[in-house]
Amino acid sequence: MTVAESLSEVAEETTASHRASFRWQTVLPWALAAVIIVLCLVPFFLVIAISFGRKIEGAAWVWDFTFENYQRFFVGTLWPDEVTFLYLQQLGYSFWYAVIASLLAVMTALPFTLLLTRLSRKAQAAWLVFILSSLSLSEVFIVMGWDILLSNNSGLPALFKSTGLTQWLKDMGWFQVLRDWGLANPRNVKFKTSEFATILTMSYLVWPYAVILLYPALSRMDPSLSEAARTMGASTSQVIRTVILPSVRLPLVGTSLLLFVFLLGTYVAVTVFADPAKHTTAVAIYTNIRGANLNAPFGATQAVILLVSASICLTLGHMLNRWAEAR
Amino acid sequence: MKTLGHLYMALAALVLALPIVVVCGAALNGGRSMFFPPRDPTLARFGEFFVSEPVWTTALTNSVIVAIGAATLAVLMAWPVAYMLWSTGSKLSKLLAGLGSLPFAVPPIVFGVGLGFFWGFLGGLGDLWAGVVSHAILLMALPLVTISIGLQSIDRSHLDAAATMGATEAIAFRTVVLPQTVPYTISGFFFVLVLSFNEFIVMFFVSASSYATVTLQIFNSLRNGYTPTMAVAAITFIAVSVLVFSAVARWGDLPRLMGADQSRN
Amino acid sequence: MSGLHLKGISKSFGGTRAVEPTDLTFAEGELTALLGPSGCGKTTLLRMIAGLEAPSTGSILLSGRNITELPAHKRKFGMVFQSFALFPHLTVRDNVAYSLAISGTPRGDAARKADELLDLVQLGGFGDRRIGELSGGQRQRVAIARALAQEPDVFLLDEPMSALDAKLREEMQVELRLLQQRLGITTIVVTHDQREAMTMADSIVVMSNGRVEQMGSPQDIYHRPENAFVADFIGKANFFDGIVRSDGIDVGGAMLTAPAEYLKGSPVRVAIRPERACLDTEPGPNRVAANVTFVRDLGPVREYHLKTDLGPVIVEYALGEGELALKAGDTCEVRLPPDALHVFPADPPAMAAE
Repeated sequence: MTVAESLSEVAEETTASHRASFRWQTVLPWALAAVIIVLCLVPFFLVIAISFGRKIEGAAWVWDFTFENYQRFFVGTLWPDEVTFLYLQQLGYSFWYAVIASLLAVMTALPFTLLLTRLSRKAQAAWLVFILSSLSLSEVFIVMGWDILLSNNSGLPALFKSTGLTQWLKDMGWFQVLRDWGLANPRNVKFKTSEFATILTMSYLVWPYAVILLYPALSRMDPSLSEAARTMGASTSQVIRTVILPSVRLPLVGTSLLLFVFLLGTYVAVTVFADPAKHTTAVAIYTNIRGANLNAPFGATQAVILLVSASICLTLGHMLNRWAEAR
Repeated sequence: MKTLGHLYMALAALVLALPIVVVCGAALNGGRSMFFPPRDPTLARFGEFFVSEPVWTTALTNSVIVAIGAATLAVLMAWPVAYMLWSTGSKLSKLLAGLGSLPFAVPPIVFGVGLGFFWGFLGGLGDLWAGVVSHAILLMALPLVTISIGLQSIDRSHLDAAATMGATEAIAFRTVVLPQTVPYTISGFFFVLVLSFNEFIVMFFVSASSYATVTLQIFNSLRNGYTPTMAVAAITFIAVSVLVFSAVARWGDLPRLMGADQSRN
Repeated sequence: MSGLHLKGISKSFGGTRAVEPTDLTFAEGELTALLGPSGCGKTTLLRMIAGLEAPSTGSILLSGRNITELPAHKRKFGMVFQSFALFPHLTVRDNVAYSLAISGTPRGDAARKADELLDLVQLGGFGDRRIGELSGGQRQRVAIARALAQEPDVFLLDEPMSALDAKLREEMQVELRLLQQRLGITTIVVTHDQREAMTMADSIVVMSNGRVEQMGSPQDIYHRPENAFVADFIGKANFFDGIVRSDGIDVGGAMLTAPAEYLKGSPVRVAIRPERACLDTEPGPNRVAANVTFVRDLGPVREYHLKTDLGPVIVEYALGEGELALKAGDTCEVRLPPDALHVFPADPPAMAAE
């Protein structure tokens, strides 16, 4: 083959490969980008747009640009003549449940995950199967399980009564304390409805997530660090306080924040276990959009506020982390 | 200290298993009400769920269709994004990966509400295919992560080696990249499958009550109280999850997929 | 024109030059080693030859044919990678047969060819094994067999021995050299190990900072280094900095007689191999008083570390070259034969700064 021939062959090769790359390296990403952008972003934009819409009595709603819905959320419709903080209070309950439940989950999941990472690879895999199965279990089923466990005529209260635990509590005088906390009626303990049951179930809901989120950081932690501390005379509690906790502070804060945001949207656990007066924004969104109220714009407004408060918390957490890092 | 640790893990396992065990036991009830421990144990509820009750069999079929459809679609969408992210690391691919993970990162009720409006305008509200697409988008983040982990585990010198042996980019992709990422792709598929199976809030908003999946069916009849048949559904779902994750653990590296350090055993 | 020619090949990554414009000829059927410290650009040069990296300037010619624009998969130069880059999802046989399989060779033929190659690298019967079941040395043989399967015009090896332990490394160097001579294939090996290069190569290209410092046979490189870098990098050498005077080289007051072809007053660097310096009573030029500071016996050789007016000097005697009863603390005289001295221009400031 002469040089000229081979060169022309090379030239053909390169143009052919250019043509091929034009086809799939240019068109596919942009087509995919269009699909993903539309499907991932447009729903959020719609929620925002509709939150400024107006409800028509007896009909659906119309596009508009009014802040009435936001005004209603923060101070009520009749402002300034009359002020109501009902919706803010619901948001407050959303935060309250989510904060306590996520902290509870992270605090109990941390020692568990630490122990998990010290096991053999095989044992870890077995535990992970169990945890992932529990993680993927629908909120519906989890609530169902806890509902049976906590409901007044079966489960734990019945167990308390039949084993005489209730009587014992009464004899010891602790029953009154439970009544003060709203965890008992005159005859027996009761967990439905209570904040205790709500937070317990929510915490259970995200506990496997806490393990899965903490797992990478903890399993990458160099065990020789703790060993080094131990050779320098640190006790177990000192090792945990001075070596382990500082090195997982970042994932710990990150996990708490993610679980918190996730729990802001909890619906079933709240409707089943919480007193109607202590329902959350998520329940209100549901009621407005698909439930009895049929006020889509106001539901959208509440969804936007939930989303914005979630983002504010994430940003604040991020800033706090960076501030702590810089210190 | 060691026994204390084991004790703690056992306690955690017990609490984690408690509601599941209770639900499983309740499925054996003979009557229409849920009791624990079960009264008058029978397996008749299993027959109702899988065979004789059309409400449940239809819901189960819908669940299966949505889960498999969403898992397939999610993997198909995640693959090009993960591949672009790995091979080019371009701004566009980073943007797409970020957007693809967004729906999974916000409270699902917000995305559900948005999708409800979205399909309402597009005309897919209440159609099963819209449910499939919705779940695929919601859960796309999972295969995106597993496939990315798989791609990162490929030694780039393998691609160079293939090239020096005459493999074009397409051939190298088919003979080197694809076979080495199959376990990760399957894991991603299964993660979507199981989570879609159990998801109901988004499904609730996009189905507009014109069809129901199993979880949705249970959710809808929540106020009417539980029946043992629901518990059968719960058992089925738990069994599927355990089976799927066991398979992932058996044929894939579950600790690594969950982000464990590779070098340690 | 046969063999592989590089004309003005260079490579820049962003603003930094990895390889300065380089002209090199790799003779057909010979083994050439690219030798240099890490980061000297030798691997980049090899990757440009393989087609894995596009040169910033210059051209590559194979038997007179310009292949600069040819992508790696069209060149099909067999390459052995530092990590071996064997495919874990394929068997040993399928790894070796990979290039044949993707070029459409019938399965049976490809498998037969692969088994022949495995016999060639003494791995007959290992075809059905998984890569994970092989030892480091076996993996390397598979990598070599795999790169040879396509009967490449040029055979490239990137630090092929670095993943092996020291003993196995020496064996594999000899084995690889014998195989290469048997096949008569043009071969380029990248290495940072001068023993490896001298064991295997017909010619050695010494590189540093992206430049070729010297190219020649192993003997040339060792005995006739063209500059201070090569003298220092290949083998050991004693160095003295001095200035050229009319009656010799002035090293800190002492005068050395040396074959210097430099202008008077110019700064130079003088080098001598430890085995060429003598601790004897023979009369002659360049006798310098010395103090023995340290003696070490390495088995085949014995080293005497000396303190002199020139600076520290190491003298090496091979076993049986005569017993010297010197020990630390003794005084003696060291003789530096003029014909054993290499004189180089003093380092340019850039190199001295290193």
